Parts: sequence; C-alpha cells; structure tokens
Amino acid sequence: MAEDLNWAIGGEAGDGIDSTGKIFAQALSRAGRHVFTSKDFASRIRGGYTAYKIRTSTDRVQSVVDRLDILVALTQRTIDENVDELHDGSVVIYDGERSWDAEIPEGVVGVDVPLKSLAEDAGGAIMRNVVALGAACEIASFSIENLDEALAKRFSSKGEKLVENNKQAARLGQEYVQEHYAEDIPEYSLEETDEDYVLLNGDEAIGMGAIAAGCRFYAGYPITPATDVMEYLTGRIDQYGGHVVQAEDELSAINMALGAARSGARAMTATSGPGIDLMTETFGLVATSETPLVICDVMRSGPSTGMPTKQEQGDLNMALYGGHGEVPRFVLAPTTIAECFHKTVEAFNLAEKYQLPVYLVSDLAMAVTEQTFRPEEFDMDEVEVERGNVVDEDDIDQYLDEQDRFQPHYDAADGVSPRAFPGTEGGAHMSTGLEHNELGRRTEDTEERVKQVDKRNRKVETAQREEAWDYREYGDADADTLVISWGSNEGAMVEAMEYLDDEGVDVRFISVPYIFPRPDLTDAVEAAEEVIVVECNEQGQFADLLERDTLTRLKRVNKYTGVRFKADELADDIKAELEAEVTA
Amino acid sequence: MSSEVRFTDFKSDKQPTWCPGCGDFGTMNGMMKALAETGNDPDNTFVCAGIGCSGKIGTYMHSYALHGVHGRALPVGTGVKLANPDLEVMVAGGDGDGYSIGAGHFIHAVRRNVDMTYVVMDNRIYGLTKGQASPTSREDFETSTTPEGPKQPPVNPLALALAAGGTFIAQSFSSDAQRHTEIVKRAVEHDGFGFVNVYSPCVTFNDVDTYDYFRDSIVDLDDEDHDPSDRDAAKEKILDADKEYQGVIYEDENSVPYSDLHGLDANMSEIPDGAPEDAMDLVREFY
Ligand SMILES: Cc1ncc(C[n+]2csc(CCOP(=O)(O)OP(=O)(O)O)c2C)c(N)n1
Ligand code: SF4
Repeated sequence: MAEDLNWAIGGEAGDGIDSTGKIFAQALSRAGRHVFTSKDFASRIRGGYTAYKIRTSTDRVQSVVDRLDILVALTQRTIDENVDELHDGSVVIYDGERSWDAEIPEGVVGVDVPLKSLAEDAGGAIMRNVVALGAACEIASFSIENLDEALAKRFSSKGEKLVENNKQAARLGQEYVQEHYAEDIPEYSLEETDEDYVLLNGDEAIGMGAIAAGCRFYAGYPITPATDVMEYLTGRIDQYGGHVVQAEDELSAINMALGAARSGARAMTATSGPGIDLMTETFGLVATSETPLVICDVMRSGPSTGMPTKQEQGDLNMALYGGHGEVPRFVLAPTTIAECFHKTVEAFNLAEKYQLPVYLVSDLAMAVTEQTFRPEEFDMDEVEVERGNVVDEDDIDQYLDEQDRFQPHYDAADGVSPRAFPGTEGGAHMSTGLEHNELGRRTEDTEERVKQVDKRNRKVETAQREEAWDYREYGDADADTLVISWGSNEGAMVEAMEYLDDEGVDVRFISVPYIFPRPDLTDAVEAAEEVIVVECNEQGQFADLLERDTLTRLKRVNKYTGVRFKADELADDIKAELEAEVTA
Repeated sequence: MSSEVRFTDFKSDKQPTWCPGCGDFGTMNGMMKALAETGNDPDNTFVCAGIGCSGKIGTYMHSYALHGVHGRALPVGTGVKLANPDLEVMVAGGDGDGYSIGAGHFIHAVRRNVDMTYVVMDNRIYGLTKGQASPTSREDFETSTTPEGPKQPPVNPLALALAAGGTFIAQSFSSDAQRHTEIVKRAVEHDGFGFVNVYSPCVTFNDVDTYDYFRDSIVDLDDEDHDPSDRDAAKEKILDADKEYQGVIYEDENSVPYSDLHGLDANMSEIPDGAPEDAMDLVREFY
C-alpha cells in the first residue's frame, strides 16, 4: 500500500475550518490522489472545537486512522485534542503571532508561520487559513498549482480578484516555509496521478441518486446530519422539474411526501432520529395505504437529542419495528458513500415495485465524510427506473369489480396491487389508514382484515424471492474468523483486515447493506469458528437480528463513544475479542 | 367529460354513517356541487381528509382521495397539488383536526398559499370521540372532559388565517345550501389557498351551537355591503366576537399561488425510464 498522509486543520467553530479543509481535499483529489475526510464538530456555531481531517494516498483510502502527520492548529485546543495522534516527526503549523504560546509536544516539529500578517499582505486577514494551506503544500512537497484549481472552484463566483488574492496568500505561506524551515521538516512526497476523481459525501450521494432515480418531490425539515440531502437537492432538483419544500416540521414533511407519492411522483423525505420519531405516526399510513415512499434516516447519536453531531448506528430497531401495529417495510442501509447513491436508486425502485415505504438508513459518519471515487462508480447509464404495476385507462379494466369500481388493494397473487395515478380515467379511488377492503373502503370484517394483512405481507415474500438481497464479501472465504457489519463500518473494517493480516489473523468479512429483507447468513455463520458483529451502538442491534436468524451466539464489537471506528483501533478490538475467548 | 359532470358523480355508493341531521351532510353536498359546477370530474379531483366525523368525507365522495391521520390532511394536499398541478385538490377536516392537532399545519398551509381548497366542518365539538371540547368550543361549554367548560377562549380560525397572510377567507353555514355552495365554489376558483370555515352543527353532542342558534344569529356579508378586497374591513368583521358571519370575508385579488411563485407546472409523475440524459453533469460537479 502506498504511504498515506494524514493532515488536519482545527480551530474554533466559525474559523472557516470546513471550507479550508474542503479546499485542500479538492486540491488533493484534483491531483489524482485518493482522499478520505472526517470531521470533528460540536453542536454550536461559534466557539467549540472543530476539525477537518484528511487522509490521502494514491491507493484508495476508506477509513480514518489514529495518526496525524501535518496539523494546522489555529488554537492550542487543536493541539491538545489531537496530541495522541501526533507522532515523532509530525508537523504542527501554528501562528506564533497569535496571542497564545503554542505548546508543541516533544518530537513534533513546530512550524511557526505568521498566518495573519501574511494573509494581510495578500489582501486580507480572512485568508490566513489559505496561507496555512500554502505552508502545508510546501511541507508535504505537494505542488501548489493543485491548490489553485481548488481555490478557483471555491472563490470564482466572488470574482477573479479574490481568486488571485487567495493564490497569492497560499504562495506567501509556501515561501515562508521555504525560507525559514527548509532544513527542519521531514520528507513527505505527495505523488500525483492522472486520475480524475470526484469528491463527495454520503448525503450528496443520496441526493444525486434521488435525482437520477426520478425523485422529483422532496419535503424535509432541517436536522443534522440529514440537512445536506435537502441542501443538495435544493436548486438542483428544480432543473429536472422537481421541487423541495422546507416543511414546518417532520409530521408535515412526510405527509407532503406521501401526498406527492399519491400523485404519482417519486417522493422522498430525509431526517435523523428525532425527526423519524415524528414521522412514525404517518409511517403506518404510508404502509397501509400502500404508498411508495423513500424515508431516509441519517442516524446520529441518540436517544432524544443525544449527541447531534456524533456518530451512532442506534436506529436500526426503530427502522425495523417503529410504529404501532404491524406493517411491512424494507430497510436498506448503504455501507459506503458510493453505495448511498446506488441504494437510493434501488430504494425508489423497490418502493414502487412493492408499493411500500422503504427506509434508507445511513449514518453521520457517512454523511459528513467526503471520499474520492472514479466518476464511473456513479454510472448514470446503469440507472434503471422500475415503476411497478401502474395502470392506465387501457388496462384498468382487469382491476374493476362487478360494479366497475377500481380496486387499489386488489388481492393479487404476488401481493402487488395495481396503481392508478390521479387523473387516470376510471381509476378514482380512496385510500385510508383504516383497515380496508380491496376497494379501499373501511372494514372490520374478519376475513377482509386477514386478507389485506396477508396481501401486504405477501409482497415481502415476493420481494424476498425476486430480488437479490445480497452482501459484499472480503478476505478468505475459508477463514476461521468471520466478521459481519452493516452501515459505514465497511471501510474501516476492510483496512482493519490488513492490520489483522500483519498480525497473522485471517478474516472473512461480510458487509450487509440490507437489514430487511436481509441475506441468509446461516451457512456463513456455521462455517466459521468465531463470528464477530461490528456496529456503532451499545446493544448490538444487528447482532441480535443475526442471532435470531442463525440461532447462534455471536461475539460483538460495539462502539458508542460517538466516534466512528478507526481502522487500526478496530483491528485491535477484534483481536482482543478473539483473545478473550482463548483465555476464558 | 367535464361538461356532463353532475354533482352526484362525486357521490360514492357508500351511505354516510353520520347521525341523521348532522351538518356534515350539507357541507359535503355543497362541496360536491362546487366541484361539479367549477368543471371538475372525479378523475381529476383529489380529496384529502383527516380524522373525525368530518374526516369520513373522503369515503362518501367519489374521487381520488386519501383519508389520512389526525390533523395532517393539509400537508398531504400540499404534496398532491405540487406534484401534479392539473389536479383539483380539496382538503376537508374538523375543527379539532384543523385547529388543534393540525394547527401548526393550518398556519403554514395558509401562508404557503398552495392553490387548493380547505373546508373545515366546524361543529365546535369533538364528534367522533363522543363529545369533548374542541378549540372552537365556547369558554363555558360543559363537556365530558371539561365539566365546567374549557375556561379558555376559543380560537378564532379566521383571525389566524388573516394573520398568517390568508388570501381567501370565508365562512358558511351548511344548512344554507345555496350560499354554502356558492362560497365553496368561490374558494375553488380562487388562485391560491381557499379557506372556508363551515358551521356544520353536531346534533348529537352540541346542544349550544345548534341549527337554531346559527339560523338566528348568522349575518350574511352580502347584506352588509362588505367589500372582501378590503383587508381592514375584513379584520373588523373577523375580530367582531359577537357576530356569526357568512360569506367571503377576505379575498386578495392579487394572490399569487405558491406554484406560480416557484415556477412549478410539471406533472412530477412523468419521469424518464433511466437517469436524465445529462445526469453525468451531476457527477462532474464533484470534480
Ligand atoms: C393522533 C390521534 N389522536 C387522537 C385521535 C382520536 N380522535 C379521533 S377524531 C378526534 C377529534 C375529532 O374532532 P373534530 O376534528 O372536531 O371532528 P368531528 O368528529 O367533530 O367532525 C380525535 C381526538 C386520533 N385518531 N389520532
Ligand atoms: S356525532 Fe355529531 S358530528 Fe359526528 S356524525 Fe353525529 S352529528 Fe355529525
């Protein structure tokens, strides 16, 4: 594996940390390097520590690690927060002219650059972060021209002058390091390649997948970390004849989306835990009225308002069991950012083919992480739109009753009834959250009740038969140890396998993107000697499910600190779990 | 088809289970007539309703319809209409549905001004749950949950609508069939959110706000030379707590519906078989 570089900028919220980090990430990606970013942020706008971290390599990187090579520290706290990740030879760029005396840990190289003064020389103190980027380029032996493009992308809408000033600021930073620190800094070499990567986060991938799949109506209410989906769609979906509504709350958002779906539009809403709770009221209505709807839950740490800016995979049980009564739903959980795109497309197809709500469950770690991909990984030619059993004037006849009334809940053999979009002649019908007969009319008749419940469940049986509820697999299929995970842990686990391999631990790894229906892992579990389920929650919600499926006690590695798994740490945890067995 | 549509085409074959004499019969008949007389037919009409005796209306009418959860019919109507502007959307509900559990949605639907009609069957009581106080119940109205009356002033839905920037605010009385129909028709024809609060007496649980009471106290705005385009005059009427008015109280003739403001005219149900042709541009943006 090519050597990677871990870079970070940290300061106070409001210091422009995010946009600075993003500019550097883009510069690296434009230079044909893989990038994986992560963010530390607090739930406040001003004040509070915040950092943007980048890991970059010429090989694909898909996880964070416990190591920092270059740190731009705008505050002492930035150094303190990251002290464990600094190592001998790490470089800390700081501004000695600022009113704090930087305490640089032993072995770490302090590079004191007058960021603010140099920025002022270039045209304004506000560019001090860009001065730091120039300094970082010099330290990392990364050609500064790469930065120019990223600066142009960021600032060109605000005028050429500003772009030039920023380029100049970067160069002042570069020159300062050349002049003052040429001798002291360690050797890094940031090789470039001819690849053109795209750099995007999970929420953006979901939004992009939605447009590609024909979603035209989105209603939502802002909440971290789902808001980026809404922000992405705003302004873009309109170009395709669609619309985004910022509703007054989540109750409204899901009902608007439901209304649009009943009009025949592909509709979606996205939220996070607290919003899902509110939407749960309407969830049952969506399901019983057999309305195709994609409900995206970008999980964050709960319960209640929990830790809004922290990672967790705690909503799985909610997605599976949330809501009163019993209603079928599908639960999809992408395991990578690219898969956020593909699973969103799939979610729309499944929702319409089977006329039910689909939970698309993502998580904060994926939502706020940007990662590089080859553009072909988002192949728009491969997107297929399957609308399921939609009837028009001509074929509505077969679904009319003796009195020529359309039956929206027709008791079809495969459970999938016909759908008539409003405006279809002869298709007028009512749908209701009350139990109903095939006509959609309220009933409490015991036979009709059982018939409709069975019909709704039959759709799931059909889907279980017809669709590939598969999984992704890594490593040696005959390994003694099987690790299973879901959601965003895949990247960290794939890298953890390399660490484990170095330690002589041979692992088979299965990453599961479907929660319900889900692949049958019984054989895989039985074939392995040790099975460990990795997830970011305390209870092991997915492990519970698998135990129920396979009737086997499984080991668990759970993390619920609010921070995602890091590859090296995960490898240690897995090893510890395996060793625990030996001594027990 | 529309020229031949009669209001009975909007009737479903299901017999209403409302109590004999319930005001909702008249309210619904007026809605069906208004739809037929404005040139709509069941196949281009969508009726959304909430929960309550009032909410059952979708069952008794024939059209595309959704009978949803308590208080949320307005957002559903909003979604239906924005996704397909060719549909005529009518939302119906009760005073509990609209001004209690759905009060937040009401205010925002008013200010959003989506081109649809909202008819509230205001019986000043919870009918379906058998007689508890509603937000429009009188301060001293004794019910099973308020034995000494709610001891809080009733909400004034018309005032809420005016304050929220309503562009069409009207009130009618379900048993004055002709006026009620005419008022709902005007709401349907209004470009924007047409709101009609209908006095729709509950003969079973409300012995105060009865047919007799309304018949005796109603004042028709047409008899008062009221000018609905005059917002100040409308405000005066709306804040006059002693009178029960019927008629169009306020209509903003310059109302611009939400979809016009946002340039929405596409039927969103029409989408390509695959990603849009230029969809790779969406990816290239991330270079
Ligand atoms: C979430 C929820 N809470 C409570 C109820 C019970 N409920 C059914 S109808 C109703 C009140 C209806 O009153 P109103 O809207 O005035 O309609 P009416 O029956 O008088 O026409 C209530 C509280 C419910 N169905 N859902
Ligand atoms: S209870 Fe009242 S509102 Fe309900 S149907 Fe009977 S009369 Fe009408």
